[in-house]
Amino acid sequence: MRYPLIPVLIALLVIPAGFAYVQWIKDGSGSGLYSRHWTPDAIQGYWDPDNFYQPTQAVQGRFKGTECIQCHQGITPGIVMDWRASRHGQSDSPITCDACHGTDHQQLQLPTPKVCANCHKKQHDEFTDEARFGFPSHVLAMDRAINAKHFVDKPKAEVQSCVQCHSVATKCDSCHTRHRFNPAEARRPEACITCHTGPPHPDDKTYFASAHGKQYLADGDTWDWSKPLTKGNYPAPTCAYCHMDGGRHQVAHKSIWKFGLREINPNTAKHQALRQGWINLCSDCHEKAQAKLWLSELDQERKRAWKKLYTAEGILKDLRADQLLFPAAGNRPPYPMDWLDELWPKERIGFFEGQASAFYNVSAIERDYFEMWYFDNLGAYKAAAHGDTEGVTDGHRKMDQSLERIGKQAARSRALSEAEQKHAIKPNTKTKLWNSGPYTDFNREQN
Amino acid sequence: MHAPVSPHELLLVLRIGALALLYLFAPITLGAETLPEGPFSNDECTTCHSQHNPQIVQQWQNGPHGPPSKTTCPVCHGNTHGDAAATARVNKSCIHCHTGATSHSYATSKHGVIVRLENSQQDWGKPLQAGQYRAPSCSYCHLHNNDHGDSMKSSGDTPVHQGICMGCHSPRYVRELFASGQRQLDIAKLKRLEGLNLITNAPAASEKKLKVHRDRLNIHLQNILLGIGHQSPDYQWWHGQPALDGDLIGIKELIGHAKRQKALRQNK
Repeated sequence: MRYPLIPVLIALLVIPAGFAYVQWIKDGSGSGLYSRHWTPDAIQGYWDPDNFYQPTQAVQGRFKGTECIQCHQGITPGIVMDWRASRHGQSDSPITCDACHGTDHQQLQLPTPKVCANCHKKQHDEFTDEARFGFPSHVLAMDRAINAKHFVDKPKAEVQSCVQCHSVATKCDSCHTRHRFNPAEARRPEACITCHTGPPHPDDKTYFASAHGKQYLADGDTWDWSKPLTKGNYPAPTCAYCHMDGGRHQVAHKSIWKFGLREINPNTAKHQALRQGWINLCSDCHEKAQAKLWLSELDQERKRAWKKLYTAEGILKDLRADQLLFPAAGNRPPYPMDWLDELWPKERIGFFEGQASAFYNVSAIERDYFEMWYFDNLGAYKAAAHGDTEGVTDGHRKMDQSLERIGKQAARSRALSEAEQKHAIKPNTKTKLWNSGPYTDFNREQN
Repeated sequence: MHAPVSPHELLLVLRIGALALLYLFAPITLGAETLPEGPFSNDECTTCHSQHNPQIVQQWQNGPHGPPSKTTCPVCHGNTHGDAAATARVNKSCIHCHTGATSHSYATSKHGVIVRLENSQQDWGKPLQAGQYRAPSCSYCHLHNNDHGDSMKSSGDTPVHQGICMGCHSPRYVRELFASGQRQLDIAKLKRLEGLNLITNAPAASEKKLKVHRDRLNIHLQNILLGIGHQSPDYQWWHGQPALDGDLIGIKELIGHAKRQKALRQNK
């Protein structure tokens, strides 16, 4: 009779201890899961105001909206002009500065989504509800950034550009730029491209190269952007038309292929239901059968891509098993988040081991695989999803080249190591080459 | 009873009146007469403007677009008067030459996006001053307030640069953004230095491959500078910091492998 009580007792002890630990770990100078390992750069308050913004003490007093405008007309005329042209400014009873920033100049706040929610509740509810769909998403973007190994590891000034984009979770003006906050602006593809650009997510390049994007580039300036994102209102789809159709303030609810970051099974019931959603959306303009075909082409492209990626992963894992990654995990300069590696050094290979952080402080072949996975593969995926056929060819050609390079490099490593063993040479594992230098030293000492 | 106005007196009044009218409207009529439409050669532009507004001619001559660069007045302004100012102010006149990372880092920034989307509503005849533009164009920052040199030149005064941003952004935000950008740039310079030191002291590695790496270090550092200046997160990050990390890994691998091979040869 006594034994069944033991698990219950253990649970009673472990659960509160777990809660207490999580509370404690989040209570450091930073934020998120590793808040005790980092302190923010001074500018981070502007990207994550809820956690880090400190109001200025420069001006004393409480001010009404009209008084703010009187003064700021002279100090920052650009934003006053912008606000005047906005719906906030044009309204019969204008929404003045104090409504969002407060009245006490020494307690001013930078508006967060919660502040916008005071009036725009529906949009905010949709936005926060996105969290239940998991990564990748807009609402969880800041958590994603600050809980990444590389964010904690690196000097905070170096990673400020991360939070500039990932602040899409903590501020509404990523898409509705201040102080106009114009929905028409957010509907246009360019509103997305400040972040959705570059090697891992060339959404801009692949969309503009697609038939949809070409039509937008040719005629988009003449379309009526005040119209809602629904059937019949636009001659060609834009980012928001497909990903935020109907103006729903979510993107993750439709995600099937998870950004191309990991392999998914397209045939699960959940994914089939999501696929039906996409087919219905495409059928705003196209035949359903055609949409179905395009989506199955995307499946095929993903299958080909993952075959190549797994081949490369296999090569790397074999090297790891034979201790041929040079320098090995235990012989690299220690970064803050490597404390576990000191006990159990292990190179991160593949999505689930943390490949997303394997772009620094790794061996050359691991970096090559990172680029193949994060640049070549994601580029091909974005091209396939957006209908940029040349982009698909280009991405796969690059993946083939990367795979070939990785194969050759692995063979070279093996040959060198075998020759060394034959001559009983032990390579210097903890070399100065990899463990010192102006940046490496700075990072170790300052971070 | 008043004496009748003599024809002599009447003539005098009329003459004074006519002179007054001429005086009042002279600036308009004379201005229109002295502003011929063109077309003009660059020499004609500089000869005339050296008298009317010598400052901009001087700024142009001493600035990055001065005579050695062959960027003459008509290159940006066109060769007629018409909309000469507005013609030069639009981004199109800059990206004609400033292609690649320079314009792409700006075009994908929030500033670049807003200017692109509001291009048709913007009155480009307005002076390049605070409160006249919704977002900064190339010219708004680099030719601010009619500066015909480069108001953002790296040798310039930081407070002057910051003042341009402060037309819209709060002084503290601008100062902190500049300071954070400087810290980020310093870190990037450390990465380049680490790479260059290794390249300089590389004992037994391929010269050609090392040159490729040296060029990449410089390109990636430049990308970060552009990313900070134009506020493009993508250029600060993906075209910048992790790219430099990759350069360091590549250089170290090249040198490390060469060293191991050398050790092997010596042992054989």
